[in-house]
Amino acid sequence: MTSTILTVDHLDKAFGGKQVLHGVDFFVEEGHVVGLVGPNGAGKSTIMKAILGLIPINAGGVEIGGEPVSITSHRALRKVGALIEYPGIYPFLTGRQHLELFAAKHHQATNIKQIVTALGMDTYIDRKAKLYSLGMKQKLGIAQALVNQPKLVILDEPMNGLDPQAVKDLRDIIRNMAANGTSFLISSHILSELEKVADDVLILNHGHIVREAPMADLAKVGGLTYVITPANLSQATTALTLAKVAYTIEGATVVLHEDTDTDLLNAALYALVQNGVAIKAIDRKARDLEAAFLAMVHEDKGEA
Amino acid sequence: MGTLIQQEWYKLTHKLGTWLAIGFMVLVQVAMAVLAAVYPDSPLFNASTLVENSYIGGDLVMFIAIASVASIVSMEFQYGTMKQLLYRQYYRSQVFLSKVVVAVLQFLILQVIAAAMTVVLSLIGGKYDWFATAKNVPHWQTYALGQAGTLLMGLLLLSVVLMLSTLFKTNAAAIASGFIGYFVITIAAGILIALIAKWEWLKWNPFTFLMTGNQLVTPALANMTHLTTPVMVVGSLVYTVLFGLIAYASFRKRSI
Repeated sequence: MTSTILTVDHLDKAFGGKQVLHGVDFFVEEGHVVGLVGPNGAGKSTIMKAILGLIPINAGGVEIGGEPVSITSHRALRKVGALIEYPGIYPFLTGRQHLELFAAKHHQATNIKQIVTALGMDTYIDRKAKLYSLGMKQKLGIAQALVNQPKLVILDEPMNGLDPQAVKDLRDIIRNMAANGTSFLISSHILSELEKVADDVLILNHGHIVREAPMADLAKVGGLTYVITPANLSQATTALTLAKVAYTIEGATVVLHEDTDTDLLNAALYALVQNGVAIKAIDRKARDLEAAFLAMVHEDKGEA
Repeated sequence: MGTLIQQEWYKLTHKLGTWLAIGFMVLVQVAMAVLAAVYPDSPLFNASTLVENSYIGGDLVMFIAIASVASIVSMEFQYGTMKQLLYRQYYRSQVFLSKVVVAVLQFLILQVIAAAMTVVLSLIGGKYDWFATAKNVPHWQTYALGQAGTLLMGLLLLSVVLMLSTLFKTNAAAIASGFIGYFVITIAAGILIALIAKWEWLKWNPFTFLMTGNQLVTPALANMTHLTTPVMVVGSLVYTVLFGLIAYASFRKRSI
């Protein structure tokens, strides 16, 4: 049985006269990885700052492990590790000294060694941080967020500047820690990466949560796509047109978008077989997060 | 709170500049002592005057402390590390207080080093008698009073520097104003005294209280500041706390 580690309850936030968060309401369960996606200016960083008690809020509340968090109430943040916007670096300290500075005293050496190895930082951890590249700084920021083995980790664009190996390492670390009960709230513009690591997704637009769903369900929102490679494209399109099956052509393939009609594939295959069209291959693709995200943001614009 | 102070101390002691500044101060003190030994008759290197000024160590302590205090808050904004300090279980007041504690600690340690070097160098030189008296007051007592006065004046000046660096998020303005403030008490004190003689209410301005150290050593200054020494001491502390509170209020409101 899982319990809730983070509760964000009808959060309102305005900067000056501009409302940037409108009743944002969600929760994160223990051991879950939640992706927070949205266009620039949607309010992702503001939500994260509010959760971390960095900014005052106008209404609503935040609780971590059942304890309230606000700009004047930080006790619950002892369970939290975070990287917000970009990693802050003291140029006169080495990477290891940064970790020593922020790591809790107990198990300090073990925790530092583990995280440095897991993120592949061994070769440069004892160099001054002012000599680090963007990716190295980003890893150091992530290492600082994780070094105290927090119960909740908040990462804002953690993949920024990371090379493919580092992205994979980070993904593995997140999945391993989540398996051990750590929860994550991650915002990222690299939706394909988020798709690989998140259990649930929150889509934010204009300060509203426009969709909150498990990743698997979100992929189904836009339905499935079937890509059929016929032996003869012209024969195949004629057969499908006669059978009144909706399709599009991409190169030498016929693409079926199963948005609502779940019998579409059956109807298409029946038409092709009936007309003697040989089929070389059929691919089934779930709609990806990016497509679902774009569709929802556009829908939200349409409603607005 | 202890953890925060340790972390601030860790940052301070891992800055190369911290050690270079101490090394420079000690070197200058040694150089002044050597010059006093080589040119014993030169009025520039008079042994008594040099000891009273801690072989210029007193001035250097102030310069180092001003630069350090000006950076202690502003560097967190400059390096983008302020968020990391604030999204932990600690409150802004604790983060701010830990910085103040470490800044005061550094100032005290610098003063102790400068004073210890002064004693050692004067003993090696052998030209200074700490137990001799001037106006019935032994030299060691005058020196100790001077140190206490420097401490009071220093804390007041550093509170102004901290306030400015927090208000402007940059250390440049704070360092500049700290240095100007320091020169005001050494160079422009005469002008201030003349102004107080004309408009008595001006005696309550904070610059007057920067002369507390001088008045502790030379009580006759009370005739010019128009304030008794105990009032100067209390006023100096009150202004220090006031500027510290303004600095905290600014730090608390600062958006991240």
